[in-house]
Amino acid sequence: MAERTYLQAISDGLRQEMRLDPRVFVLGEDVGVYGGAFKVTDGFQAEFGPWRVLDMPLSETAIVAGATGAALMGMRPVAEMQFADFVSCAWDHLVTVAAKQHYRAGTPIPIVLRLPSGGGFSGGPFHSQNPESLFAHIPGLKVVCPATPEDAKGLLVTAIEDANPVLFFEHKHLYRRIKGEVPDERYSTPFGKARIHREGDDIVVVTWGAMVYTAADAAEIVAAEGISVEVLDLRTLIPWDREAVLESARRTSKVLVLHEDTRTGGFGAEIAATVAEEAFEYLDGPVKRIAAPDSPVPFSPPLEAAYLPQIDDVVAGLRELAAY
Amino acid sequence: MATGTQIEVVMPQMGVSVSEGTVTKWLKQPGDTIARDEALLEISTDKVDTEIPSPGDGVVGELLVAEGETVEVGTLLATILPVGAVAMEAPPAPAPVAAPVALAAEPVAVAPEPPIGVAPEQPAAVPVAADAASGNGRTFVSPVVARIAAEHGVDPNAVTGTGTGGRVTKKDILAHIESGATAPPAPAPAALAAPPAPAPAAPTPVAAQPAAPPAPAPVAPPAAPLQTGEVEEPMSAMRRGVMEHMRRSLDTSAHVSSAIEVDMSRIVAARAQLKKEYQASYGVNPTYLSFIAKATVETLQDYKWVNAEIRGEKVITRPWVNLGIAVSLEDGKGLIVPVIKNAQDLNLLGIARAITDLAARARTKKLLPDDVQGGTFTITNPGGFGTFHGTPIISQPQVGILGTYALVKRPWVVQDELGQDVIAIRPLMNITLTYDHRLVDGAYSGGFLRDLRTRLEGWEQAD
Amino acid sequence: MAVREAEPVGSLQEVHDVGLDREDLFGIYRSMLTARGIEERGHILYKQGKIPGSFYTGRGNEASAVGVATAMGADDVGCPLQRDMGVHIARGVEPWRIFAQYMGRADGPTKGRDGNVHIGDARLGLHAMVSHLPAMLPVAVGMGLAFRIREERRVAIAWCGEGAAARGDAHEGMNLAGVRRLPVVFVIDNNQWAYSTPAHLGHAVDHLADRAAAYGFEGVVVDGTDVLAVYREAKRAIDKARDGGGPTLIESVTLRMEGHAVHDDASYVPREMFEEWARRDPIDRYRTWLRDTAAMTDAEEDEITAGVKRLLNESLQRAEESPQPDPATLLDGVFATQDELDTPHHK
Repeated sequence: MAERTYLQAISDGLRQEMRLDPRVFVLGEDVGVYGGAFKVTDGFQAEFGPWRVLDMPLSETAIVAGATGAALMGMRPVAEMQFADFVSCAWDHLVTVAAKQHYRAGTPIPIVLRLPSGGGFSGGPFHSQNPESLFAHIPGLKVVCPATPEDAKGLLVTAIEDANPVLFFEHKHLYRRIKGEVPDERYSTPFGKARIHREGDDIVVVTWGAMVYTAADAAEIVAAEGISVEVLDLRTLIPWDREAVLESARRTSKVLVLHEDTRTGGFGAEIAATVAEEAFEYLDGPVKRIAAPDSPVPFSPPLEAAYLPQIDDVVAGLRELAAY
Repeated sequence: MATGTQIEVVMPQMGVSVSEGTVTKWLKQPGDTIARDEALLEISTDKVDTEIPSPGDGVVGELLVAEGETVEVGTLLATILPVGAVAMEAPPAPAPVAAPVALAAEPVAVAPEPPIGVAPEQPAAVPVAADAASGNGRTFVSPVVARIAAEHGVDPNAVTGTGTGGRVTKKDILAHIESGATAPPAPAPAALAAPPAPAPAAPTPVAAQPAAPPAPAPVAPPAAPLQTGEVEEPMSAMRRGVMEHMRRSLDTSAHVSSAIEVDMSRIVAARAQLKKEYQASYGVNPTYLSFIAKATVETLQDYKWVNAEIRGEKVITRPWVNLGIAVSLEDGKGLIVPVIKNAQDLNLLGIARAITDLAARARTKKLLPDDVQGGTFTITNPGGFGTFHGTPIISQPQVGILGTYALVKRPWVVQDELGQDVIAIRPLMNITLTYDHRLVDGAYSGGFLRDLRTRLEGWEQAD
Repeated sequence: MAVREAEPVGSLQEVHDVGLDREDLFGIYRSMLTARGIEERGHILYKQGKIPGSFYTGRGNEASAVGVATAMGADDVGCPLQRDMGVHIARGVEPWRIFAQYMGRADGPTKGRDGNVHIGDARLGLHAMVSHLPAMLPVAVGMGLAFRIREERRVAIAWCGEGAAARGDAHEGMNLAGVRRLPVVFVIDNNQWAYSTPAHLGHAVDHLADRAAAYGFEGVVVDGTDVLAVYREAKRAIDKARDGGGPTLIESVTLRMEGHAVHDDASYVPREMFEEWARRDPIDRYRTWLRDTAAMTDAEEDEITAGVKRLLNESLQRAEESPQPDPATLLDGVFATQDELDTPHHK
């Protein structure tokens, strides 16, 4: 056990898998000599050499397609998009090729795509997005959104082990801000198992990624008012832990879904709909969503603050649900 | 509707930074006349507690916010109607006045005979203004509350709500149930003797279905204006349930009643013999009702269709008898029918004990939701008041209800040991079977009554 | 321009020099006949209503497809496209499974999940194409990348049409292959029409192979109706890639002899163009060469043609006996399991 940042935990997990298995290799922009825009692969090229830590041309299509081709040849590529936003350039290769190849041709595509995502630091419209729901909508892709250092490492190991394309959303806001005890040894954290970040009885906040902390802070505030809030960290969106969500929904009878991605068609809508379908008779209030509004992510700090769900927004939502 | 003439009372802003206020007390009720500047309610805010004067003359219409509720500044609290306009206005009062309860009144209201006389008072008075609910949160029953209400046989309207607009929250109803207050006040809909309650008709597991929202106030023609001397009061949720159920039962079943006279001599003798023993050994009073219940249960074993149910186009019979015993609440506030489950397995003592137990628990408001569910046949006993005949209304979805009446000494023609007719003084009781003629035929019901009489008249105490 | 225009193949000696014996030559002929025969029967099946959806063929492309496929090594891989039936046949895909695929049957390589020539038998080194051409081109580059990382002497073939060469995938894939000198051979089947769009509205260079120079590797233009010339150029490029010499772009020029799909009458293609290219039909041309230069006898030819006919008849019958896919299997395989990995991680 050692205290590691979220970023270090990802780096540790990746390095550990590369040491364990020569088929694991890294490709992306500036991942080699420079160690990645966020330094996740810092020192990797020195250890593993230029053919396992590949600096790629500015070619997101070729990065993802290349990973797909290499995976078809038995490799375990871990590709990095410098920012999750740039994955739009590789949409076709995830959605058209990687997601569907096994279903129609029977050949697994075991690739991992690391996606530094999220806002909160004036990254503007092209360096701040949380496009997880776009991919959660595509059958054949798995979507992972760790919130803690321990999960980041364990879920990355599972992602590399998985036989399918896995989109691994790393929240940039957590990279250096969040620290936690992380086991030194190798371990894997299963997909589709939510984690109770904080226990509570009156309301459950279903969330993931950086919003886990926003939810926890808000829960702390309303706890002083006698409102007991559970924070359920989904950890993975595809597959997502429906049973855990439904269990919490049935137990608390009030559900707030929180995400940093935009509201309309966000994954929260799927959760809300599922709760309405399968736990309707247990609800004691409307399923509430708090999410970013349907706009691009703005640059200027006051605009961005208004865009991102804030602790106060969640507190207000919790109070409203509690009073309902 | 002369809505343009009504005056709206809103939550005032008591200070620049104040955004909400709590209604602490209503000083007037719907229908009260009120003068301009006369105090209408008391509110409490962060900064000040104060009375709020009426902004105009008139009659208090709806009270839209319950006491204890906190609302934002500007929220509509009440309406004041012009004096003359009241009659034409939409009924500001919660439920219709003088509802057509007459139907429910006589037959079913079972005055228990003294021993089981249970008259728990109707607890949990319906919160003020609550029923008035004019589309605010008070009337909305959330899915989980509906489900819990159905499972526990609680009328959500009988629970004080703390949610938005006075809505009953899950916490409210659970607290209500935990407090034990449920049983008497909010008998499971389906369980009420002549069962009130908006509960699902079919005795299918209630958990499966989201209970229907509380029955809406009966559709009635525009209420007649109050005349001098008439008093208007809101109808309790239980009463509304009774009202609905009685009407529905009559609309559902083809009611026919048959009566039979029973010579209770042997029962009287047996009871006299057992009373002391039962009292001393078990603390149980073997009431006449116990004997009748025992004989009824036995007879039902031979007449399955009297203990049956019509479900769609199917007839459902069962080998057990869950015997409902109708109990009226004090002052005609409602009815409740605790059920003796698997009564066929009980001997006389068991039945007597079960009746005593249910009566005691009803009296102390300790009935569990399960105690009032699942009845397959009901006995109602209005004889305590001396009535000698009646035509009870069947508790849906059952198909029969037995009425027992006053035990009176009468001259009775019997045969002496020589086979000669002589007049004797005998304790007689009229017993009626009201049955659903859709399923139970006259001859079948006659057979049932005959066999019941045979059992009672030939009673041999076995245990 | 740096591009080289390949000479036609002439003498038997020349053929032997590039590694083909007489059986190989007959094998090539057999594959070309089979590829065309499958597609001709497919037309009939389509008109009989036995093939749902649409139907695409590669008539006129048989030499190009079979030539390249014959040059591939056993461990080489590739992602052939909808005009490349000859690749599947030459690599050993059984025709009955192709008919089953056409008809959406359970025994088609995609078990009815995909249609047409969207197939690939991974055991034969072939990976199924997608409709978003040329999406599989950079995927093939990734295959080459894997070979390079592992320092294996294997080559990936990346097919592309002249129309799809306009898409960014082609550029990114070729650029990466050039930068890393990956063992990849790009084959652009230039059949001159992208659906109804003529080649000159798709690219401004004289030859698509001209682009190779911009990516830092060799480009060559070959007559796609000359199976032996295609074979020779493919073999050279593949051998070079295998030896670490980096990629080659081969532009194989043909004419798409039918519409884009069966529903397209290709009325936009000048009649004279069809007539001219009909005279250069790759199968007729190769048959003539076999008879004139390789001395194929009547008996040998009869045996080949009868064998192909028999194979197709049997295949069709077998395919028609294949069951429809069970709707209960609809959701099978949306996700792969670890057991399906040939080389599981950490095992």
